[in-house]
Amino acid sequence: MGSRRLNVRGLAREPLLHFLAIGLALFLLYGHVSPGDSDSHRIVISQSQLDDMVRQYQSTWTRSPTSAETRRLIDAYVHDEIVYREGLSMGLDKDDDVIKRRIRQKYELIAEEDKRSEPTEADLAAYLKEHPAQFIRPAIVTFDQVYFDPAITSPEAVSAIKAALQKGANPAILGQPSMLPRHIVNGEIDLVARDFGDDFGKQVAKAPVGVWVGPLISGVGVHLVRVSARAPPDLPPLSQIRASVEREWESDRRSRSSLDDYRKARAGYDIVIKAKVP
Amino acid sequence: MIRKNRLAGSALGVAVLAGGAVYMSQARADRPAGTATGLMAANVAQEGGYLPDPNRQYPERVLWGDEHVHTGWSVDAGLAGARLTPEDAVRFARGEMVKSNTGQDARLQRPLDWIAVTDHSDAMGTVGELTGGNPEMMADPTVKRWHDMMGQGVAQATAATLELVRAQATRKMPKVLMDEKWVASAWQKTVDIMEKYNEPGKFTAFISYEWTSNALTGENLHRNVIFRGNADTTRSLTPLTTWATGDPASLWAWLANYQKTTGGQVLAIPHNGNLSNGRMFEEQQYDGRPLTREWVEARARWEPLYELYQFKGLGESHPSLSPTDEFAGGELWDTGNLAGLTKKPSMYKTEYWREALKSGMRLQGSFGTNPFKYGAAAGTDTHTGLSASEESNFWGKLKSSEPSADRWDHLFQKEQSYVRRDWTLTAAGQMGVWAIANTREAIWDAMKRRETYATTGPRITLRFYGGYDFGTADTNADRIVSAGYAKGVPMGGDLKAARGRQVPTFLIAAMKDPMGANLDRAQIVKGWVDSAGKAHEAIFNVLWSDPAKRKLSGGKLPAVGDTVDLATATYKNSIGSAQLVGSFKDPNFDPRQRAFYYVRVLEIPTPRWTAYDAVRYKVKIGPEVPMKHQERAASSPIWYNPA
Repeated sequence: MGSRRLNVRGLAREPLLHFLAIGLALFLLYGHVSPGDSDSHRIVISQSQLDDMVRQYQSTWTRSPTSAETRRLIDAYVHDEIVYREGLSMGLDKDDDVIKRRIRQKYELIAEEDKRSEPTEADLAAYLKEHPAQFIRPAIVTFDQVYFDPAITSPEAVSAIKAALQKGANPAILGQPSMLPRHIVNGEIDLVARDFGDDFGKQVAKAPVGVWVGPLISGVGVHLVRVSARAPPDLPPLSQIRASVEREWESDRRSRSSLDDYRKARAGYDIVIKAKVP
Repeated sequence: MIRKNRLAGSALGVAVLAGGAVYMSQARADRPAGTATGLMAANVAQEGGYLPDPNRQYPERVLWGDEHVHTGWSVDAGLAGARLTPEDAVRFARGEMVKSNTGQDARLQRPLDWIAVTDHSDAMGTVGELTGGNPEMMADPTVKRWHDMMGQGVAQATAATLELVRAQATRKMPKVLMDEKWVASAWQKTVDIMEKYNEPGKFTAFISYEWTSNALTGENLHRNVIFRGNADTTRSLTPLTTWATGDPASLWAWLANYQKTTGGQVLAIPHNGNLSNGRMFEEQQYDGRPLTREWVEARARWEPLYELYQFKGLGESHPSLSPTDEFAGGELWDTGNLAGLTKKPSMYKTEYWREALKSGMRLQGSFGTNPFKYGAAAGTDTHTGLSASEESNFWGKLKSSEPSADRWDHLFQKEQSYVRRDWTLTAAGQMGVWAIANTREAIWDAMKRRETYATTGPRITLRFYGGYDFGTADTNADRIVSAGYAKGVPMGGDLKAARGRQVPTFLIAAMKDPMGANLDRAQIVKGWVDSAGKAHEAIFNVLWSDPAKRKLSGGKLPAVGDTVDLATATYKNSIGSAQLVGSFKDPNFDPRQRAFYYVRVLEIPTPRWTAYDAVRYKVKIGPEVPMKHQERAASSPIWYNPA
């Protein structure tokens, strides 16, 4: 085993520590629900605790446990509880990074919970106005492309094909075969960029409509291109993108509020550093 | 029919163009005029029209994703300091900028099309359940009613949960339940997040988790559980943990029960057999009893895919199992199990995908079903919430391996017999899926039929078909897809028994990542079982760049070359091909033998993430650290089944 600090991952896989962490959670939860269980050498399984175990089983297996399975649930609970209490009496919960981090993880997960206030129409309109770039729909483009592998094609040949295309030759039978589509209908420009490469996407976004242009260089080869239709990028009205705006508004709010939560909590503490900090 | 394409990188393109020969043989009359293919499945139209093609039966666009992502809500990731949530993970996958766990700005160069966030079910989240009988809560009549319903059998309990879900969605939750002691479990929150970010046609966020069995002493038997459906069939359940048992058969029972009781569909993807110390593909049950027909059928039913490539090493094959495979040697994690207990060489045999594919066909002879009929999956297994498998944008496995000058030398784990440092992490795990639409249902269906492939990161486009009726013209890059589907089966499929003297033909088409490196070669990997029940494998180099200069000798090819400049962490596409398109006929085909065939495509050498780090941080990295590699893609196999 490596040193304790360095081997947090190994420790995280230790079943005993799982018992400890889970047990601690259970202890905290049930401690106040069932104050009568405080005797450290007495383990009482109340009806509501058993109901919980059974419900947990049901939600995993979508059926009730059999009598034997219920006994096993109780045995497992008792086992966890005893080992957990023995461990506590040895002070194993003190100064343990794993337990500290587990509590922090749970704390933050709970703090994650949305505070459940619904944005107003005005909130969303304001958010959209402040962050239009997040909601702009990319240009939509329809084009034909004729592919050439530059390693086996001369520029003269490409020029000759371009001249033929300009005179009305059928693009579907010219150039060289490739795995790229020859005819793209209503393609979003960002997807064009992903399939052909960023530079190609930029060139297609500004190519004149209705004429053959090129050769344009993509990530795969060179192309003659004719854009036949292109809708510019646009910002849809709120009514069309309400769900996305609401999602972004919530996400923005969430990331700011979790920082605020920590700042607020920290304000209630005196931090005294007595050590020498280099 | 080798189509040889040699393409220079865009900067060199025009210069090379000037020196090229005229080559126009494709302008022939034998191809149908006006083959129209749209870029997006949803927008595919027949030529001249703008309506979706109602006759289209096959996927047109590969969808890239990651089926294995942990966030700070996984207990181990959280303990290692990860703070990012499933929401952050999905936003990152969609291409948004997020703050990493170390406070750095992180963003993908190219967004993913889909993601499966797979936090560990063990110790997931907080309190989990509505507690029963608590007087404080029972004072609320709605809560009391739900509590009573939960005690009245499965149907009532489900109804109560659905009411609760609805109340939460419509913000009509009883106040007492909004107390933070009773918050929804991490699972329910995860489901809610996935629902919020799943946008059919645009981005798919699966509902998923990881079932994390480490057997008894750290033998990795993990499975990612991926649901086809939405919140209505998943939110009210509790993911299976391994507290009761680490036996994978318990997971299969759980999956069967899930389908039976909810009508939803689900599959599981095992991974990291390389860290299982021989247990992932062992030919016995978990408790040592011999295999049964029932066991074999359950495994085959629930596990259509295996994760080959991910951050903790490549699991395709091992040099000791595949001594003739020149490319089996890199990026291996083969020194121990997950807990670092030493591995014996005898354990390799039941840890790797290719060997399992062979064993599975042998077991099929005994049980009638192949328990290891695994297609190819890939995922990062990141524990940072950041699915980043690009070499130049690698965000590490844990918070401690997020970008920093000295991360390459951090201790990952002190194993029993090896000190593993972070430079051994592999920036790998992109999965290509041939689905007909970007939806949960379509991608899941493609996974189920194994029409998938794994890459170590690059977005190589890869098509692969097997059939008996292909003609020479079908090898044309423009036709290969329509011919492949019309006359054959795609990757992941099964070939029927050959009749008479029939020999199957395989069509292969690979295109480079448009933002990445050229291709070196495409290989067929074959495995088969002979009449004595013994399994074999063979590797065929089928297509390669620069065939005028690179000639096969004893089945081997000269290396493609190397343009990597480590001083700048760059390479040039002045070697290799943009596309490799052609066909393969097995010279040793025997119609009586069970066999599988898969394609593996290799890129030309490129800088590894450690090389990018060396340049970015101006650090000197130890001589033991590999600085370049050949990235790759491997398809799901096509299986041949004799009569």
